[in-house]
Amino acid sequence: MSTLTLEEQQISLERSVAPAKYSTGRLGKTLRKTLYSSGAIIGFLLVWELVPQFVLEPASKVFLPPLHEVLQQLWKMIISGDLLTHVSASLGRSAIGFLLAVVIGVPVGLVVAWFSKVGDFLNPLLEVFRNTAALALLPVFTLLLGIGELSKVSIVLYAAFFPVLLNTILGARSVDPLLIRAGRTLGLNNFEIFSKVVLPASVPIIFTGIRMAGTSAVLVLIAAEMIGAKAGLGYLITNSQASFLIPKMYAAILTVAVLGFVVNAALVALERHFSRWARA
Amino acid sequence: MSTIEIKNLSKKFQRTGASDETAVTAIESLDLWIEDGEFYTLVGPSGCGKSTLLDILAGLSTPSQGEMLVDGQPIAGPSLERSVVFQQYALFPWLTAAANVQIGLESQTRHGKGLGKVERRARAHEYLRLVGLEGVEDKYPHELSGGMRQRVAIARALAHEPKVLLMDEPFAALDAQTREQLQDLLLDIWKRTKTTIVFITHGIEEAVYLGQKVAVMSAKPGKIKEIVNIDLQDRQSVDDIRSTQQFGEYRHHIWNLLHSRAAQESPAQFEKTLITSGAHA
Ligand SMILES: Nc1ncnc2c1ncn2[C@@H]1O[C@H](COP(=O)(O)OP(=O)(O)OP(=O)(O)O)[C@@H](O)[C@H]1O
Ligand SMILES: [Mg+2]
Repeated sequence: MSTLTLEEQQISLERSVAPAKYSTGRLGKTLRKTLYSSGAIIGFLLVWELVPQFVLEPASKVFLPPLHEVLQQLWKMIISGDLLTHVSASLGRSAIGFLLAVVIGVPVGLVVAWFSKVGDFLNPLLEVFRNTAALALLPVFTLLLGIGELSKVSIVLYAAFFPVLLNTILGARSVDPLLIRAGRTLGLNNFEIFSKVVLPASVPIIFTGIRMAGTSAVLVLIAAEMIGAKAGLGYLITNSQASFLIPKMYAAILTVAVLGFVVNAALVALERHFSRWARA
Repeated sequence: MSTIEIKNLSKKFQRTGASDETAVTAIESLDLWIEDGEFYTLVGPSGCGKSTLLDILAGLSTPSQGEMLVDGQPIAGPSLERSVVFQQYALFPWLTAAANVQIGLESQTRHGKGLGKVERRARAHEYLRLVGLEGVEDKYPHELSGGMRQRVAIARALAHEPKVLLMDEPFAALDAQTREQLQDLLLDIWKRTKTTIVFITHGIEEAVYLGQKVAVMSAKPGKIKEIVNIDLQDRQSVDDIRSTQQFGEYRHHIWNLLHSRAAQESPAQFEKTLITSGAHA
């Protein structure tokens, strides 16, 4: 027994020593890796900067201004606070819709999963809803709820709700039955089995749903804002285009890209954090 | 510390809505008497109903017929009095080793006869130390080796001091060396706590090494074929008891019981081998 623990200690010692040995080489490696992985983006930005200046005819250059003009415009909008207004309008709407989707979707999903009869009954309908593109319903939302905040938040809620709901159901249903049996032999009653075994066991899958919901919340909102809104990044894009403020339009598009990237990265980090025990 | 009495127990598995003919009889009229503090091992061919029997003992499933009494009381569902160690560890992967060990203790506290928070933590550390794990209290199961996980599972099963410990091939997934270490650990714990242990295994050697009694089961339908009393001296007091002649005879006898297909065709001869090898033992 004691020899075993000793061996295990030695093994873990070796494991912890190994990375240290390579750490200097690893630093250069990460640097090279970062450069390599961002190479495509840098190349793309270079093409964006150079092609309008040296390849395009002046007439088409108007429709695709070089990167530095767009960045200048972006800077102006940041200074004037214009950009902040639109970003916060968009972020506020998607955050409200998204949070509502999580707050409603997770408990409903758990209940549906717990009462399997309810789940079997509702499942076909849920599948139909999930496979109906949220944007196809935008006219319905606009008709029923107008073009104000309510319809924007509702469409985000709709788009974000189903990934959360369906992943919660999936997660709660795919809990290893062995863990439930173990819980019962350890004196847990039905409610405790649910709160102490089923819920924590489904957290990784629920968070995958939450990440998907966050991404689609942003995407759907931008599209909805393009169709009818008085503020927000989607509105900024279409409005600039209609007013022929082309650099402004690109500045807004760039912001949307960065925003989507940041939201996704934040949610991926969150998902990682909550499922670290599952990565074995 | 309790006696277990199994009387005329049968278990049939039937799909809901299916007819009676399609039902699988996993166990048929099985009787077994397990004394207080006894270490009972159970061997039998795959599919003979060992896990089914253990599930019923644990209260995780109900028999179709017959009854099972613990200290004269019928079993009504799972209980902290009867702990289970599963082959696949069944640790909660989102909890640390210490938190896993405390699950049963927390249940006791909720039922109003348990320890406070600090004492629970101390008890968890104590039992992790008992199974030879120190310094892993705050590690998650995926950070532990298979042997360490099963030690945590044993600590978790014992921490709330059950009267009966039920084990379903707990060491089957481990390498030979770790298995032998855990067998000795289990014997140590048993000697110290005098817990009644029912231990299922595929390994004849394991059954003989651990058990005071070995129940040999036969399949289709699941029944107890013979109960072999193992009359060996203290396992750990002898060097390599597994290679002694007496151990070999027990091993061979049980091997014969498990491989007696041919013997079943001529029962008379089978009886004879039984008697001769029984005489050796
Ligand atoms: N839930 C179930 N539904 C239907 N049949 C089952 C069920 N559980 C077990 N059985 C059947 O009951 C019989 C006994 O199964 P059991 O798992 O108890 O065997 P076992 O002795 O533990 O086998 P092994 O050594 O392979 O673990 C088998 O024929 C099996 O197919
Ligand atoms: Mg089995």
